[in-house]
Amino acid sequence: MKESLLTGLAAIVGPRWVRHRRAELATYTMDGLPTHESWPGVVVIPGSRHELIDVMKALHASKTPFVARGAGTGLSGGALAEGNAVLVALTRLNHILSVDPASRRAVVEPGVVNARLSEAVLPYGLQYVPDPSSQTACTIGGNVAENAGGPHCLKAGVTTNHVTDLEIILPDGSLARLGSTHGDAWGPDLVGLFVGSEGMFGIACSITVRLEPIPPAVRTMLADFPGIRAASEAVSAIIASGIVPAALEMMDQSCVQAVEASIYAAGYPTDAAAVLLVELDGQPEGVAAEHAVVEPLLRAHGARHVLTAESAADRARLWQGRKKAFGAMGRIAPDLVVQDAVVPRSALPDVLDRISEIRDRYALHISNVFHAGDGNLHPNISFDRRNLELASRVREASREIMTVCVAAGGSITGEHGVGNDKLDYMPLIFDAETLGAMQATRRVFDPGERANPGKVVPIHACREWCASPAARGNGRQQHGSLAEVAHD
Amino acid sequence: MPGSTDPRFAALDPCVHCGFCLPACPTYLATGDEADSPRGRIVLMRALERGEIGAADPALTQHIDACLGCRGCEPACPSGVGYGQGLEAAREILAERRGIAPAARAILTVFSNRLFWRTLLTAAGWFRATGLPARWASGTRLGFGMGMLASTRRHRVPRSFPGFHMPHSAPTVALFRGCVMDTVFRHVNEATRRVLEANGYRVVDINGQGCCGALHEHAGDRKGAESLARQNVKAFGGRANYIVVNSAGCGALLKQYGHLLGTRDGEHFGSRVRDVSELLAAKGPRQGGPLPLDVVYDAPCHLQHAQKVQAEPLAVLNAIPGLRLRLLPGSDKCCGSAGIYSTLHPDMARAVLDDKIRGIAAASPAPRVVTTGNPGCHMHIGAGLRAAGLHATVLHPVELLDESYRVGGLYSRQQ
Ligand SMILES: Cc1cc2nc3c(=O)[nH]c(=O)nc-3n(C[C@H](O)[C@H](O)[C@H](O)COP(=O)(O)OP(=O)(O)OC[C@H]3O[C@@H](n4cnc5c(N)ncnc54)[C@H](O)[C@@H]3O)c2cc1C
Ligand code: SF4
Ligand code: SF4
Repeated sequence: MKESLLTGLAAIVGPRWVRHRRAELATYTMDGLPTHESWPGVVVIPGSRHELIDVMKALHASKTPFVARGAGTGLSGGALAEGNAVLVALTRLNHILSVDPASRRAVVEPGVVNARLSEAVLPYGLQYVPDPSSQTACTIGGNVAENAGGPHCLKAGVTTNHVTDLEIILPDGSLARLGSTHGDAWGPDLVGLFVGSEGMFGIACSITVRLEPIPPAVRTMLADFPGIRAASEAVSAIIASGIVPAALEMMDQSCVQAVEASIYAAGYPTDAAAVLLVELDGQPEGVAAEHAVVEPLLRAHGARHVLTAESAADRARLWQGRKKAFGAMGRIAPDLVVQDAVVPRSALPDVLDRISEIRDRYALHISNVFHAGDGNLHPNISFDRRNLELASRVREASREIMTVCVAAGGSITGEHGVGNDKLDYMPLIFDAETLGAMQATRRVFDPGERANPGKVVPIHACREWCASPAARGNGRQQHGSLAEVAHD
Repeated sequence: MPGSTDPRFAALDPCVHCGFCLPACPTYLATGDEADSPRGRIVLMRALERGEIGAADPALTQHIDACLGCRGCEPACPSGVGYGQGLEAAREILAERRGIAPAARAILTVFSNRLFWRTLLTAAGWFRATGLPARWASGTRLGFGMGMLASTRRHRVPRSFPGFHMPHSAPTVALFRGCVMDTVFRHVNEATRRVLEANGYRVVDINGQGCCGALHEHAGDRKGAESLARQNVKAFGGRANYIVVNSAGCGALLKQYGHLLGTRDGEHFGSRVRDVSELLAAKGPRQGGPLPLDVVYDAPCHLQHAQKVQAEPLAVLNAIPGLRLRLLPGSDKCCGSAGIYSTLHPDMARAVLDDKIRGIAAASPAPRVVTTGNPGCHMHIGAGLRAAGLHATVLHPVELLDESYRVGGLYSRQQ
């Protein structure tokens, strides 16, 4: 089967863009979470929309499973393929098709890198707001699939709030248009359904996004705290005051130290237990008024210093450090796992205490860097996977952290998606019926179940799990709708 | 990524596979293929190290060979992965096990022997003087080669000048003449001497020097590089306070002679090497006369990444009144020349270059001059501009400063 498929694909995209030799496949065995590894059957890199459509038709004709891949920065093992599944890399579909500054829309191919889009619309005084920390590398297609968030999504909303319509290629190679560029589409919100679907419903091949004007006034504050609890209480206090900052991010000492040792050193105080980055934006008077409230709040909750960045260069430096923090953690140990739980903001101080306690009990190195304003935690555990005993402690601690977050009323993913990394956690928050409904929705788009097989919905785990009454007792039905899987 | 057992690969250990290096890599930008990305190549190097994929595997060698060695990925990496070190180790293993490709071997042999390269490059200079290369320059493979040669053309010849009076205390500098620089770019060496003297350096001549060995070292021919290095160390001895070089690729290796040879003499040599822009910037440099030109600067990888010399060339250009200097987006990205890379991998080299040429073509106002301080980049970009039908000229920053000094009358009177 493989030979004829290879020839067929090569005839569509040219032999240079079909990768099947072992060494080449090796470079596609991981995404941004290299603790998961799996070998695709073939990698195909189409060079145009046309070629992509033909590739999808060929895969359909040969009943071959496939997985879409953007930049491979995903943190849940989503863009991995195994067995005979074909990895469809979208990196060559990287054109900004049109920019309409008057109605503030841009149409892009899926492989456009997030930061490139904002750069391209800057001359019009516009920006594409969702700014995942990986924005210099990740693609808009990957952002759509994961419903990516970012520091500036606190006030402005995550990817789904910024996509107006999509052209998608269904797993059978046919095209569908979802949503509408201006105004609301009739009927159910299919764009909302597709955004966050993690490659299970087909491939987004043209994406229309909303652009926003760059706010006239911006102030970024750096506050450092002697204790994590104090910092998280400050977060709760700001949110309770009714002010919604443009961004509200937190880093603990371990994270700050890794950043400060890197080329992205931002001048964060390395002796602080935690630092907060708070950004306010809007009209100058509004920003000044909010600043007058937020700064004293930070101090009242124990901030040792509150520094306000004056220049655009200073702001950029403060943000660079935060955005490269995850990467900088390679300095601590060769391996890293990152969690992505969401907890109610009011529960933040207690959950962080529990995580510290788990860290001490398992004797692990955990760094916390997260979107505090959303209650979206990213505890990063540094380790060396060659130490098997350590690796098993990491696994157990991860699971315990997740259980704590769920018990606090939280969810298992804020923005990185389920992929194959969090499959096992799905039954923690969804019961068998809900998981079954998700699977049924998936079949509407993909009756052959060929799109990103084995990810997101734990079919096998689910059956076993259903069979065990003990397990059922642990399950908590929390959410009911598909959209919430990845949209929390 | 799991830790390394071979210490030479330990520099790759901090890689957490985040992907921040992808957009910094010219070959990934050209192909969109992760096998041509730093992150992908790190996976390959680790597999090579562990013996999971052999040194004879054609797919592995293809993608490691396709790396420009520009090290543009290093400053993008928050984890501080030492990509260059890992690459050096991988290339040594590959060279040991499969030898050096015949085409590369042939080129390296020419540069190992003074008589060979001098004859060949001097002949190239004569051929250039016929004007034929300029006429035949085009986008085809042969035409591109013609364009490379044509772009070495000297553009304005300052008249001979009476020379500067130098106090006895003036620091002495010995000019590393190089091979390409001493033949087809001889005018740049002459300009280098003049601008250094104008800034109070006493330039001394050293006989018996040869090629720096950088081409050999990049190709994994460490022995060839060492033998040339020893020859140069001997020729320069302890003479002169500084050894000045105007080719970024040569300078990067000259500074590393201590590491290469592992000797005291090598160390002493390396510690005295300076890029010409470093010496000039240390003196200001002196202002010259006005040159009202639109100029874009393109940073050679071997200057900005390997030597970490970034601000100095700009200081040199800023000493020229009236110069409208710009940095285009991507001016810090490799042009695809990378030593003999462009000869061995012409398609990838052109794909990488095309991005840059598109950027220059789109710039408004259109630049008259692209300036860069490395002969490989100079010729590669020059040929690309010709192939695209653009009228911009490539010049070394020192050539611009020299011209500015001429216009400003610095050379016309005894100083
Ligand atoms: C250092 C670092 C920081 C990060 N910070 C953030 C952050 O702040 N916020 C955040 O939300 N995420 C973050 N991430 C995670 C990741 O960058 C995002 O999930 C991003 O959206 C993935 O984009 P990608 O192009 O790399 O997609 P990939 O990893 O290649 O793919 C991710 C998923 O999308 C699917 N997919 C890709 N393209 C398409 C398409 N066109 N159509 C359909 N499905 C597709 C794939 O099948 C896969 O399931 C971070 C990652 C790293 C490494
Ligand atoms: S940026 Fe550094 S840590 Fe991240 S993938 Fe590249 S080399 Fe690895
Ligand atoms: S050295 Fe240059 S070409 Fe090689 S991987 Fe790094 S950025 Fe890419």
